[in-house]
Amino acid sequence: MLNRRDLLKGSAGLALGAGLAGCGVGNIDRGSKAETEKPIRKRVDGDLVYFNYSEYIDPALVKGFEKLYGVRVRESYFDSMSAMMAKLRAGIHYDVIFPSAEYVQRLRSGFLIRRLDRDKLKNVDTVYSYFDDPWYDPDSAHSTPYGMYATGLGYRADKVSGMTGSWRDLGEADSGDRSFLLDDYQESIGMANLVNGYPLNETDTGKLEDSKDYLVDLKPELRGVSADTITNMVSGNAYIQHLWNGDIVNIRYGVDNPEDFKFQKCKEGLPVGSDNFVIPVNAEHPGTALLFIEYMLEPENAAQNVEWIGYPMPYEGAPTEAFQGLVKEDPEINITVEDLEQGQQFENLKGEGRLAWDEVWTEFKVS
Amino acid sequence: MRAFDRPRFLRVFVWIFFVFLFAPIVLVILFSFNSSRSLQQFDGFSLRWYETFFESESLRDSLIASIQIALITMVVATILGTMLAYGLVRARTRWSDTANVLMLIPLVTPEIVAGASALLLFTQVGLQLSLTTIVLAHITFSISYVTVVVRARLAALGRQVEDASMDLGATRWQTFRLVTLPALWPAIIAAGLLCFALSFDDFVLSFFTTGESPQPLPVRIWTQIRFGVRPTINAIGTFMLVISTLSIGLALLLPRLLGRRESGLKVLLGREGA
Amino acid sequence: MNENRFATGFLIPGGLWLLLLFVVPVVLVLALSFGYTDDLGEAIYDTRLDNYERLVDPDYLPVLFRSAGFALGAVVLCLLIGYPVAYYIAVFGGRWKNVLIALVVLPFFVNYLIRTYAWIAMLGDDGLVNGVFDTSIRFINTPYAVVGGLVYGFLAFMILPIYAALDRMDPALIEAGKDLYGSPWETFRHVTWPHTFQGVLAGSVLVFLPAVGDFVAASLLGGPEEVMVGNLIQQQFQASDNWPFGAALTIAMMAFLLIWMSLYLRAAAREGKEATA
Repeated sequence: MLNRRDLLKGSAGLALGAGLAGCGVGNIDRGSKAETEKPIRKRVDGDLVYFNYSEYIDPALVKGFEKLYGVRVRESYFDSMSAMMAKLRAGIHYDVIFPSAEYVQRLRSGFLIRRLDRDKLKNVDTVYSYFDDPWYDPDSAHSTPYGMYATGLGYRADKVSGMTGSWRDLGEADSGDRSFLLDDYQESIGMANLVNGYPLNETDTGKLEDSKDYLVDLKPELRGVSADTITNMVSGNAYIQHLWNGDIVNIRYGVDNPEDFKFQKCKEGLPVGSDNFVIPVNAEHPGTALLFIEYMLEPENAAQNVEWIGYPMPYEGAPTEAFQGLVKEDPEINITVEDLEQGQQFENLKGEGRLAWDEVWTEFKVS
Repeated sequence: MRAFDRPRFLRVFVWIFFVFLFAPIVLVILFSFNSSRSLQQFDGFSLRWYETFFESESLRDSLIASIQIALITMVVATILGTMLAYGLVRARTRWSDTANVLMLIPLVTPEIVAGASALLLFTQVGLQLSLTTIVLAHITFSISYVTVVVRARLAALGRQVEDASMDLGATRWQTFRLVTLPALWPAIIAAGLLCFALSFDDFVLSFFTTGESPQPLPVRIWTQIRFGVRPTINAIGTFMLVISTLSIGLALLLPRLLGRRESGLKVLLGREGA
Repeated sequence: MNENRFATGFLIPGGLWLLLLFVVPVVLVLALSFGYTDDLGEAIYDTRLDNYERLVDPDYLPVLFRSAGFALGAVVLCLLIGYPVAYYIAVFGGRWKNVLIALVVLPFFVNYLIRTYAWIAMLGDDGLVNGVFDTSIRFINTPYAVVGGLVYGFLAFMILPIYAALDRMDPALIEAGKDLYGSPWETFRHVTWPHTFQGVLAGSVLVFLPAVGDFVAASLLGGPEEVMVGNLIQQQFQASDNWPFGAALTIAMMAFLLIWMSLYLRAAAREGKEATA
């Protein structure tokens, strides 16, 4: 009897699939070109609906914004770009969200984000000129950068020996078997590509095989594959951890011997990236959102934010100095303009390339 | 002689069990009062993390949202689940097997899929994500737990008392209300508490079905913990513990009220230990 | 017959709810498993079998069996630990019965994640235990830690049904058993255990099934080898953005679990008939 029911359900599923064929999951509020290009008036038009990573903004600044304009900031959080997209697809109306660079490109090509008239924003001239016409958003018409990050190896200078400035140190340096790979398919496959001398975003299946082999061979040397970078290092479970530069800053805040925790940028290649302000096309309070972006661009606010989140923000003046001050004993952690220009950034992988990466990662996990 | 041997060994075992059970809890409570950010060394007593917690409007809203969701889930799921358990054990129809399988499959479903499928449904139907959608999802996946727990007890109860009650002239509904239900209370309360705990603690389901704000507390904790454990979390955990203790204390009062009724029934039926 | 209709009516509210809010979404997931993702990463419904073809790869079988293995280990441990505790409270608890069972349940009201992180703080290489006893035993990032985490997370699910069953038992039965069988062990085997079997079954199911699909324990406490099916599924939905493949993985996992489920049904039905006889 169970068999009959399963068969029934199976055919129901197939039938439904056939019926829905071609339909996408959800109905993301795709705007038209006209809608996305409509300029936003900079004014208070309601409470701010904010959607970002957790612990990625100083709560005091949020309160400050609320007081300044007499609005409430309704915060919610995602923990990955994928989770953010799922919520957007579900049709929720956010006012300001923070996609990474390649996702800005993705959202833009889908007509999902609105034009930001940057010249209307005070202090926008402090933004690094690199971002005036970035690859993911021509003329920076739809986004403004928020934070910058770079990926490298965090390690305990007091416990580890044999660091040579290479990505290979993750598996080869003497870490007492306390090495962790970052549980992020983009970062890990990207790293493997760099180690093999390929570009960060390599999608050729033959070359990806090499990268997969590298990762699979790395496995026995690893204690874990984890995204809990900060907990791992603070608790002493990790002596080498594949992580982002801001993580090291936050790790240092939580230990008694911060000087022993260092960050290594690796010679085979430096993945860099930015998280960016964008305003979705279905935002209900875009004016307030624009005011919020302007508020965060103010040098004092940004400087304060830098110290709280532990990541650099790409604005000249006080914010840059603030981060330099945070890492003055360890300038490796900083991201300079050269790093931005010479480092490699993650791109949107198309169709087959994405699937190839997905397969590599899944096979690595189950191997 | 031998009857006392087992208790002694058992008692030690149970003591050790409680120590291990509560060790992390004690740690959480202790470090919630830590004056420094360290999670390894206790540097002195302070209430700063509680201040951070209560001053945060969004954390307060999240806490209230979590409690609301858990309460509604507990009530609705317990009702639906108990009814389902009764129907599964007492009814004999050709739908019984189907209902049984239907009830069991949510248990087979991994949380992540429960969340994703719920999200799929709400998105396809066009229902805006909000606290309501979270509650709907929670109830759906709590019903099975209630049914399984209540059914175990119902099966062990047997029909004799119910048959006797109807022989004495009570209607089916009266029998259910005055005989079956009181006998089921410990199981129902256990199931209800289970529901509350499951809902209060749940984050995967909530994560997928939550709207923009407020997000339930476990969702906040999950997204927060990934980016560095801040000691505020220990304050939140301790606070949740206090609330739970109070609610369990409340729940414990109920059986006492019913206990009186039950013994009254026993006297009426001239049965003891039934 | 009337009584039957009365009881059947009870099936309707719960059944209808589950049909609408559970079966329909799962059918949607099933439909999605035949789909694909487009260039923008959007999931599109279709009638392709690509995802299932990928699944048939023998590489995926070990993950499934490992998940079942961890879950089974968790069930056994929960039973070994939970039954004596439930027994002690139900039989010897006396006035303190309710308080004790409340104490058992209480820790489970502290968020699962927070408790797990507290364990990491305790058992970490630089944690409390290693510090106090001046050892350097690696507890975390091992398969044992994963099973331990699962046990700690699901123990209440085992204890509560067993306790409910024990509590229902007439203490006179145990007394009679002692007279009949003499030794406490024989009494347990022939009297107590059969009467609590339904509770044990219920507890085992409540622990096993969610444990197989769990991803938190493995991701926080496990090493690179400790990948469970739940981790794979989570990855497809939350990182790789490959919902159709995740859907296919899910359906496969559910099919696997349905087999275990039917075993439980058969066992429960058999016991149920004996109990009412």
